[in-house]
Amino acid sequence: MSDAQSGPDNTNQLIVEKQAEMEALFTSIGDGAITTDEFGKITRINPKARQILGFSEKEMIGGWFPNKIVAVNDQDKIINMIDRPITKAFLTGKTISEKCIYRTKKGKLVPVNLSVSPILVDSKPLGAIQVFRDITLEEEVDRMKSEFISLASHQLRTPLSSIKTYSHMLIEGYMGDVNKDQQKSLRTIIGATNRMNELISTLLNITRMESGTIRVSLKTINAKTLVDEVIEELNLLANERSIEINNLSGKYQLDVIRTDPLLLKEILINLMTNGIKYTPENGKISLTVKQTTEHITFCVADSGWGIPEDVQNQIFSKFFRAKNIVKRETTGTGLGLYLVKGLVDALEGRIWFKSKPKHGTKFYVEIPNGKNQH
Amino acid sequence: MNSQSNAMLYDKVLKITNVYLGPAADRFMSRQIQNHLNKEPNELTEKDLVSLIVWIKVSVSLLTEDSGIVDEYITKLNELANAKTPTKS
Repeated sequence: MSDAQSGPDNTNQLIVEKQAEMEALFTSIGDGAITTDEFGKITRINPKARQILGFSEKEMIGGWFPNKIVAVNDQDKIINMIDRPITKAFLTGKTISEKCIYRTKKGKLVPVNLSVSPILVDSKPLGAIQVFRDITLEEEVDRMKSEFISLASHQLRTPLSSIKTYSHMLIEGYMGDVNKDQQKSLRTIIGATNRMNELISTLLNITRMESGTIRVSLKTINAKTLVDEVIEELNLLANERSIEINNLSGKYQLDVIRTDPLLLKEILINLMTNGIKYTPENGKISLTVKQTTEHITFCVADSGWGIPEDVQNQIFSKFFRAKNIVKRETTGTGLGLYLVKGLVDALEGRIWFKSKPKHGTKFYVEIPNGKNQH
Repeated sequence: MNSQSNAMLYDKVLKITNVYLGPAADRFMSRQIQNHLNKEPNELTEKDLVSLIVWIKVSVSLLTEDSGIVDEYITKLNELANAKTPTKS
């Protein structure tokens, strides 16, 4: 290359070409894209972003990002700037990806999936770039899917309730005498409808969990009362299997907690039911509750068959069932612990376990006391 | 620099920041220090503050529209970061 070719004119030409290339790239991105400078002023906005938000380029360029791009929550309340992804990206120096709702120029609410990164030159932030995608259609499909499952579950449950009610009436002799063989058959029918009901509930909950539509509804509750209710519900099942349940929730001093009682109950019922199912006759199950200033921990311990060591890392996977269990208990779906893990996550808690084959399993669920949550 | 003077530096940063961010000051600064420096606030040094100021500037620019106020705040932090500790003769 000659001196003339590598001189200032050539460098300028290269810069112009690179700028044109960047401009074309930015303009042609199929998702909305916005860049801001170090003062939060909008420096670029591509056509897709303008289309989603309903603003013209003139209205946006030079405008202060928080004024122009309004993010709101589910209740259409403006999200505090310090909690918005762009601020988080500057607070952490990392790319932040989140779901968010934007309010357009005409006031329409548009759900978006966005990703925002600081623009760094020599490790110094000079602004940010945000790329976002309108997910209105996906949200609508999700909503329709949930509605369909909810409707289908309801439609399945209604005939099941009739089958169960009439089976109970038959077995109790409301429609004439039934002999022992007939009673046995009716009990099988009732057992099957119960299992079908459980399966529908589990599927419904998993659908909600996977579509992110599980709503956490916080209430101030007494943990001891909730545990008593759980055990009361499971006494019949435990008796049928000659399993002794020890309620040790009164062993330690417990304060009230602020959590979602329905989700917590679902978690404990699932763990206790697993304990009952996977413990041999005359075995024991216990439920202990301990509380610290920050958390409350529930421990469900059984004297069952335990979880083989080589599969312990898979037990929260969907449809997973350990081989030692499949041989003994054929009716499980492998969805219970997957659901429990999802529900514990929804409550911002954690779950872990200790297990030794033939010596039983202890499941621990720790959730925040939630005193500062509203 | 010992931990006491580091904590004092953080207190000074917080005092300045309080004027601009009010009750959000502590949360804002703690997050900056923990995320960018991987340190606790009471471990902040003048050298850290110099490197942190660029991040503080872009973050606070999203919390207030007036770039004059941002500049004023950043100038105060720069003065604090570059202030020489008096030495005993």
